[in-house]
Amino acid sequence: MMAMSRGEKILQVIIVTTLCLLSIIAIIPVVSVLATSFSSRLPVDMNQVTLWPIGFTFDSWKYMIFRPDLWKSFGITLFTTIIGTILSLLITALMAYPLAKKEFMLGKFLIIAAVITLVLKPPLVPYFLTLREYGLYNNILVLIFPHVLTAFNLIIMRTFFKDFPQELEEAAKVEGCGYFRVFFQLVLPLSKPVLATLGLFYAVVIWNQFQHPVMFIQDPDLFPLQLKIRQFITSESVMPALMAEERPNYNEYTLRATAIIFAITPIIMVYPFIQKYFVKGAMLGAVKD
Amino acid sequence: MGKLTYNMRKYWPLYVMALPGTLYFILFKYIPLGGSVIAFQDYSVFKGINGSPWVGFKHFTSLFEYPDFYRVLRNTLVMGFLRVTFMFAVPLILALMINEIRHSLMKKGVQTALYIPHFLSWVIIAGIAFEMTSLSGLVNTVRGWFGLESMLYMQMESYFRPIFVLTGLWKDAGWGTIIYLAALSGINPQLYEAAVVDGASRLKQILYITFPMILPTAAILFLLDIGNFMELGFEQVYNLLTPMTYSVGDIFDTYVFRTGIQQAQYSFATAVGLFQAVVGMVLVIVFNKLSKKYSNGGLW
Repeated sequence: MMAMSRGEKILQVIIVTTLCLLSIIAIIPVVSVLATSFSSRLPVDMNQVTLWPIGFTFDSWKYMIFRPDLWKSFGITLFTTIIGTILSLLITALMAYPLAKKEFMLGKFLIIAAVITLVLKPPLVPYFLTLREYGLYNNILVLIFPHVLTAFNLIIMRTFFKDFPQELEEAAKVEGCGYFRVFFQLVLPLSKPVLATLGLFYAVVIWNQFQHPVMFIQDPDLFPLQLKIRQFITSESVMPALMAEERPNYNEYTLRATAIIFAITPIIMVYPFIQKYFVKGAMLGAVKD
Repeated sequence: MGKLTYNMRKYWPLYVMALPGTLYFILFKYIPLGGSVIAFQDYSVFKGINGSPWVGFKHFTSLFEYPDFYRVLRNTLVMGFLRVTFMFAVPLILALMINEIRHSLMKKGVQTALYIPHFLSWVIIAGIAFEMTSLSGLVNTVRGWFGLESMLYMQMESYFRPIFVLTGLWKDAGWGTIIYLAALSGINPQLYEAAVVDGASRLKQILYITFPMILPTAAILFLLDIGNFMELGFEQVYNLLTPMTYSVGDIFDTYVFRTGIQQAQYSFATAVGLFQAVVGMVLVIVFNKLSKKYSNGGLW
């Protein structure tokens, strides 16, 4: 690398400083909420808390961690995310495979039928009424089934299968393997990278989903995590009913902050390990068929 | 037809494999789409689609006479415009800047910090926004340092759209750089070497090499984004909205949700939704055509 001129050095400094500032700004809201969740009630009420806890206490966390409804919602979200992701990958891969085969006569027709759904989406109300007819109202399956396939992911997967070395499949077929064995024992095991990437996308959609729960889940016992957090944010229900003489070391702000941090911790924890898959996935999306 | 039966018999496993996915599209996309006919009925849940009376375009005419409709249309257009503009410009500028960082560890750090918000749900993003601007939140604390009175920004009409833009950028601007960074890494380094030999400064290189080289990518993304003009995102707006800010923040998605699902005006809300879906479809098709024409790229 050649030595930088003075002008270039200044440019470099300006860019690096701006980006570092922006990164800090992107993180500050989370840090501030984190600080609030570990602060005492009074400093929060008196606006003394900024980016570090004041009157450090675990009281908000102790109270939230022992709320059974929060853990129940967490469990529902975790369960639907795991089952939903597996089911999504299976259904997507199963459909993408024949679509990548020339001998499959309905291929073109089905691709067009799938792409149409990207362009013309069913209006909300008939969608709601239809799914209610299916019995998905107040049913946690509504957190899974509507997300098991998207035309977009289908096309990505199909592109991947199209590039799959045909010789390998042909060789397996000569050995007497049918389509199912080729698919499950040869193609799927060799598709791990694309499965990982799409799986993460499905998982994030199901974990973070809000629209389906808010439309279909009215029963608080079936609330997934996002609805639970939303309930805490919009209502006073986050605070327990207190006896007159009780003065706990938390208030609604510290409890809400705790709930928010509780909900994002799993994502922050797994994020460093899967960042590369996400980036790969974002790029896959750019590859047009 | 005979050919298809023969094909099905010979390659039946392929048809079995495609079955669950096909069922999904029928059950969750096409049947609900067909259900849109209730926009032309006075639909009642008890009578069903078969028993409800047909009323032609009644709901569409009443739609255009409704002052609420124009408010919602205006909000959707204004916010769509804001979103397309900012979500196009900011990631592009960010990517150009990130591309200039020489220090690879710092580059990684910046990218990680800017990508993470993409994985937080809108409930969380809005929740953080409400916490930050609450009476005890960081924003009002800082205002207090300057002797300013506390303000509840989330309840104020004039701040709704800026907050809409800011939260959108916070969540997705960093993520939007990925595609540009990929395009940037594909630029032939010899171009830069030649420019250096000719005495071009770094800034000149950005202006005359980097920028023109990613313009095609940017153009495709921009056109496709305009095509999605009507897709503002129910989750973001619904979570940021309070009754105080309906006048400036209520969009088609939230309006249909309130009238159709919460107030059960099924036929009317379906008419609104159908209007939105058709306008959205026309936009997507037109802008996809344009992006194909100008840059050989498109959704299909």
